[in-house]
Amino acid sequence: MKKLMIFTLLVSSFFTNAQDNLLNMLAGDNEPIYVSYLFKGTKVVNGQSVELPAKGVLQFNIQHRFGTLNSGLYNLYGLDFSQVRLSFDYGIKDWLAVSIGRSSSLKTIDANSKIRIKRQVKDGFPFTIVANSAVYLKQWQYDEAQKEGFLLTNQLSYANQILLARKINRNLTLQLSPTMVHYNLVEIKDNANDKYAIGFGGRQKLTNRISVNAEYFYQLNDKRNNNVLSLGFDIQTGGHVFQLHLSNSPAMIDPEFITQTTGEWLKGDIYFGFNISRVFTLNK
Amino acid sequence: MVRLITSIVFLFSTTQLFAQQYLANNGEISFFSEAPMEDIYAVNKEVSAVYDAKTNDLVFQLEINDFVFPKSLMQEHFNENYLESDIYPKSIFSGKVISQDGKNAIVEGDLTIHGKTNKIKVEGILQQEKKVINISAEFIVKLEDYDIKIPTIVMYKIAEEIEVKVNIGLKERK
Repeated sequence: MKKLMIFTLLVSSFFTNAQDNLLNMLAGDNEPIYVSYLFKGTKVVNGQSVELPAKGVLQFNIQHRFGTLNSGLYNLYGLDFSQVRLSFDYGIKDWLAVSIGRSSSLKTIDANSKIRIKRQVKDGFPFTIVANSAVYLKQWQYDEAQKEGFLLTNQLSYANQILLARKINRNLTLQLSPTMVHYNLVEIKDNANDKYAIGFGGRQKLTNRISVNAEYFYQLNDKRNNNVLSLGFDIQTGGHVFQLHLSNSPAMIDPEFITQTTGEWLKGDIYFGFNISRVFTLNK
Repeated sequence: MVRLITSIVFLFSTTQLFAQQYLANNGEISFFSEAPMEDIYAVNKEVSAVYDAKTNDLVFQLEINDFVFPKSLMQEHFNENYLESDIYPKSIFSGKVISQDGKNAIVEGDLTIHGKTNKIKVEGILQQEKKVINISAEFIVKLEDYDIKIPTIVMYKIAEEIEVKVNIGLKERK
């Protein structure tokens, strides 16, 4: 009797579903499944995110920062003031991107490169790691250059970062951004040329197209100004990403918003700003 | 008795082993949709398939994130917003060749996309050349049948119907 049962079991299992058996033959390949799209934009708010423009993609960014919300109706709550940064990002490889930009606030030209070192893998390596390195050149006027002691190298500052991010689930991504800012020239002798900070960033998707982002940079040494806290929304439409945000810094370049933030959230020194990015696919 | 059973079981397993099965793991499935702003086109060249010539069973399987778009942003939207490939990583067709007339064949079965399964019936071409069976077909997929929502705020409108092309060469399984 027992044997008969085994027999029927065996036969019935064989007849269950031939198509399922075929499907089992197609066991998935063993390629790692990379976790993608950790952030919608290449910036969390002000700071860089682990996202790079794809290979062959040119991204044009327009960033605006208005005045403080507490500047009164006369200044239309800050909207009368505006600073702008225009920049281009380009993906040379899927893991390498470069960008060039120019900010109106400190009349600074910046260039940076982002290299993706490691990608988060589903059920595998837990983080996406990106190295970001930027150089900033403050522009000068003819008169300044005529003065004695003017050195081009004194106009330079740098920011180097390791960006470490993890997509916790399909909606939530967290990022840690240890940063070193270096000034070739500091205004006061006592100021450190090298400043260290650690950035915390994150995004929580609210819908498939809208996410809320937050970012905070904590200064580790020689803190002369406030730490920067920024909150914003990313809104994605067809080819654009709109980022609307509030921050206690109007700056758009790393050395400035990390170490030179003077605004205080609690006093209402809050700057409204937005980033718009548009991508153009130049080649495959 | 035991011998009888083992021999019967053996018999079944051998028929399974020597069945005429054909395999592919680099088949092509592409889709195309005409849209006012820009046409949407993507191709997946890593489709795997099995065809059992004895039972006429036919199975396709692909990974959604293997679809390659000319524009990376489209690919992002496709994976993130439309097909939600993190939740539904695979699309599977599981069916049978129900009739064959020369090289024209009709296939019927279940197509699963975005976690939704629908019965489909597709006319195509099934052609054997030596040890390779070539399968090609074209059919229409309606997005709403698979619960793929088209948002209103996107700037490029997406057609409700997508043209799908299948082109797979299956090799005899050794």
